[in-house]
Amino acid sequence: MPDLKVIVPKKETGALDASDRHSAHKWWHRWFRTPGELRELGVVGINMRNARFLLPNNPRRLYDLVDNKLRTKALAEAEGMCVAETYGVLRTPHDANIVEKILNGHEAFVIKPTRGSGGKGIMVIDKRVGKNFIKPSGVEVTPGDVKNHVSNILAGLYSLGGKRDFALIEYRVQPAELLTSISFQGAPDIRVVMLHGYPVMAMLRASTKESDGRSNLHQGALGIGIDIATGITVRAIHHGRLVTNHPDLGIGLIGIQIPQWDTILHMAVICQEMTGLGYLGVDIMIDKDKGPLMIEVNARPGLAIQMANGIGLLRRLEPVVAQHKKNPTADLETKIAYSVKHFRANLPDRFT
Amino acid sequence: MLLIAIGGGLASYKTKVLEVPFWEGERVDQWLVEAKVSFLATGREVKARLSLPTDAVLKNLGQESGSLDYHYTVEDDRDEYTAVWSSGPRDEGQALYYRVRFKQGLNSGGEPKASAEKPDSPDVPKLPGSLGAAAQNIVTRAKGVSADPDSLFVALFEQINSGSASQEYVLVKRHYEKEGMASPNIAMGIDLLGLAGIPARLAYGVILNDENSGQQPVPLIEYYDGAFWKVRNPNAPSRIPDGRELFVWHRGGGPLLEVSGGENSRVTFTVVKDRIPLATLTDLRKSPLFISTILALPASERAVFRYIVLIPLGAFVVVIMRNIIGIPTLGTFMPVLLALALLEIRPVQGIIMFSLLVGAGLWFRFLLSRMNLLVVPRVAACVVIVTLLMMMMGVISFQLGYSVGIKITLFPMIIIAWTLERMSLIWEEEGKRSAMVQVSGSVLVAVCAYHFMKISQIQYWAFYFPEMLLVLLAGILLIGRYTGYRISELIRFKTFSNA
Repeated sequence: MPDLKVIVPKKETGALDASDRHSAHKWWHRWFRTPGELRELGVVGINMRNARFLLPNNPRRLYDLVDNKLRTKALAEAEGMCVAETYGVLRTPHDANIVEKILNGHEAFVIKPTRGSGGKGIMVIDKRVGKNFIKPSGVEVTPGDVKNHVSNILAGLYSLGGKRDFALIEYRVQPAELLTSISFQGAPDIRVVMLHGYPVMAMLRASTKESDGRSNLHQGALGIGIDIATGITVRAIHHGRLVTNHPDLGIGLIGIQIPQWDTILHMAVICQEMTGLGYLGVDIMIDKDKGPLMIEVNARPGLAIQMANGIGLLRRLEPVVAQHKKNPTADLETKIAYSVKHFRANLPDRFT
Repeated sequence: MLLIAIGGGLASYKTKVLEVPFWEGERVDQWLVEAKVSFLATGREVKARLSLPTDAVLKNLGQESGSLDYHYTVEDDRDEYTAVWSSGPRDEGQALYYRVRFKQGLNSGGEPKASAEKPDSPDVPKLPGSLGAAAQNIVTRAKGVSADPDSLFVALFEQINSGSASQEYVLVKRHYEKEGMASPNIAMGIDLLGLAGIPARLAYGVILNDENSGQQPVPLIEYYDGAFWKVRNPNAPSRIPDGRELFVWHRGGGPLLEVSGGENSRVTFTVVKDRIPLATLTDLRKSPLFISTILALPASERAVFRYIVLIPLGAFVVVIMRNIIGIPTLGTFMPVLLALALLEIRPVQGIIMFSLLVGAGLWFRFLLSRMNLLVVPRVAACVVIVTLLMMMMGVISFQLGYSVGIKITLFPMIIIAWTLERMSLIWEEEGKRSAMVQVSGSVLVAVCAYHFMKISQIQYWAFYFPEMLLVLLAGILLIGRYTGYRISELIRFKTFSNA
C-alpha cells in the first residue's frame, strides 16, 4: 500500500498554475461555461463519451455480460474475485412465494433486479424485528411487501427496456467503519472508470439525507474524488459544488485513505479483462470482514466523476488511448503501474 | 453528403425542369375535391351512377376518375351530368374515385341558373288534418313578412333553425322527425316552400376545408324564384354560397348516388389544397420522378400523408433538442406524438388538457400503487382510467361549451398511460423534481416540434418535395456524429474547477 505522505511532483503544480489562469472567474461562470473553456479543461460531454469512447470500444454483444448481474457475478467468481454471496435467485412468479424460505437464517440481505440500472429496484434490509424487516432508513416492511417487490422485479418493472427479469437476493455488505462514518445511511461505493484496462479516474459515492440512502449524484449524493495513485480522497462535490464536510454528518471528507486501494485497482482491471469492454465503470464496496467486493460493472459510466475529481476526463483518456496504441498487449501490472505513475492527483496540503 | 446531393438534386430537378414552385409564396392554390364512392358488391353486375358538378364537365376543370376495371362514361342529360361506372359481377368492398380541380376562389357552382322551361308548380305535400292547417299558417305568416321567394326562404329557415320556434313549427317538425328522415329540417323546408308555391329540391355540396377528410356531403336546398334556380345552405339561409368555403357538387334534383348490385353504398368527399398548377401536375405524372411524389395517391390517402410526412420533422427536432441542447424527455419520441396531437388541437388548449389529464391520471396512479398491482395490469388499469378521464373531460367541456374537449381523444392514449407509469416510477425513484423536469422537458420539446411542423413553408417542402427528407436524414446523421458539448452541459459543468 502506498505511503500516505506522498510528495507532489513540482511539475504538476506548475501545470495547475497554468490552468488556474484559464479558470479565472468571469461573469458568465455563474450561468455557464463556454464550449472553448470546457474543451480547455478537458471535460468530456455525453456526445463525446458515446461517440469516441463508448460506441467504438464496447461492442453491443458484450453489454449483456454487464447488464445481467448474474452473468457478471459468474464471470467474477470464475476469476476468483470476491463478490457478495448469492443467497438465491428467483426466476418465476411462483418463486416469489418461496422468498421467505430463502431468507431464512439471513438477518440482513439485499434484493435487486438482475438487469436493473441506476440503482433502481434495490431493496436493502438491515435486520428483522419479529416477522417484519427493517430498512436502513428505519422503515419497517412486511413479508408481503417484500413479496410484492419481488413480483415487480420479475415483471420487469426495473429492468432495461421493461424485459422480464430475475430477482437476486444476496449478502448485505457491512461497510467498513471508515466508510459508514462518511455516509448518511446507505453504504458508500467506489466507482473506478477504466479505458482499455487502465484505471483513469475513481470516486467514492456517499449518500446524504437528501439522497435517501442512494448513491446517485443527481439525487443529492456526494461525489468524492479519489487519487488513483494513492487511494486518498482529494475533493468532494455536492450538487456540483465543492464541499469539504458532509452536509449532514459534518465530518471532513478530504484526505481519507481508502483501505486496500491496491486490491481495488486490481479488481477493477480484472473486471475489464473478463468482460472485454473497452470503456467501463466498476463499482466496488468494502466490507468490514470480507474486504473489497465487486458489486457491478457499468458499461455506460456517467460523467460526474470528472466534477468530483476536478479533472476533465479527456486529460486522462487521451494519454491512455496513445499508450494503448503503443503497447496493446500490456499486462495488468503494467497498466496499473502506468496509471499510478501518470494519474497522480494533487493531494491536499497536509499530505504534501 | 451523398444524401444531400441526391435529395437536393431531385428537388432542384423538380423546380427547374418541372417548374414546381420551390417557395410557398409562389404557390397557385387549387382545390382538389375527390368523391369516393364505396359500397359492398353483392356478386351481381354492378352499376354506379354519381351525379357530377355541371361546371366540372362544361368548363373541363381537370376532372378525372379512378377505378379498377370498370367501364366509365359520363352521361349528359340536359346539362345534368352523371358519371356511370359499370362492370361484370363483383364481390366485396369497391371504391370508385372521381376528382375535380379548380382554382381557389372560383365560384361555388351554386350560382343562379336560368331554367329553360318553367318548372311545374310543386306538388302540395299531404299533411294530415291539424298538421296541414298548422303548416298553412306558417307559410301564410312567412309570406306576410317577405316580398319574394328569397326572403321567404330566409324567413322560413330562420324559424326552422331557431330553437325558440312557435308551437306550430314544433308540431310540424315533430311530424317530420317521426317519419325518420335523415334531415327532417330540410325535408320540412322543402315541403313548406312547396306549400308556398315555390319549387324546391335537394342539392349537395362539399365544404372546402382540408382538415377533415372523408366528409359527408352537405345537404343544400335549390329553389326556383320564378326565373332562376338558386342554391342556398339551409343552415345559413341569408348567405349566398361562398366559393371559398363551399363547392356545390350536385344540383338539379335527382339522386346524388345510385348503385345497383351493391349495398351499403355511400359517397364521401376529401378536399385537398393543392399548390401545384394543373399543367405542371400533368407533366409531373408523366415524368419518371413521379414515384417520388405522393401526388399519385388518391386524395383520401394523401390526406393521411399530410401528417405522416411531418413525423420525420418532429423527430429531427427531438434529435436537436436532446443531443445538442440536452433537454431531458420522457421517452424518446413521446414529444413527437404529443406535437402531432397539438397540430390537431390548438396548442394552448392542448397543453392545458394534457396537464389536466396527466395530473388527474397521476393521482389515480398513486391510488393504484397502494394496491400493489403487477406491472402490466397496472398499466392496463391506467389505460382504462385515462379513457374514462378523456370521456369525462369531453363531457364536461362540452357542457361548458368548449368543443376542444371532444378533440382530446386525439391524444395517443397508450402513450399517455405509459407516460403516467414512467412518470410515477421516476417520481418514486428519483423524486418529484426530476419527474417534473422530464415531463416539462417533453412538453417543451413537443411545443418546439409543433412550431417547427406548423411553419407552412416546412409543410410545403415535406409534402411536395419528399426527397428533401434525404437532406433531413443527412442532417440527422451529422448530429449523430456530433461530439461537442450539449448546451445543458455548459450549465452542468459551470462549477467545474480544476483540482
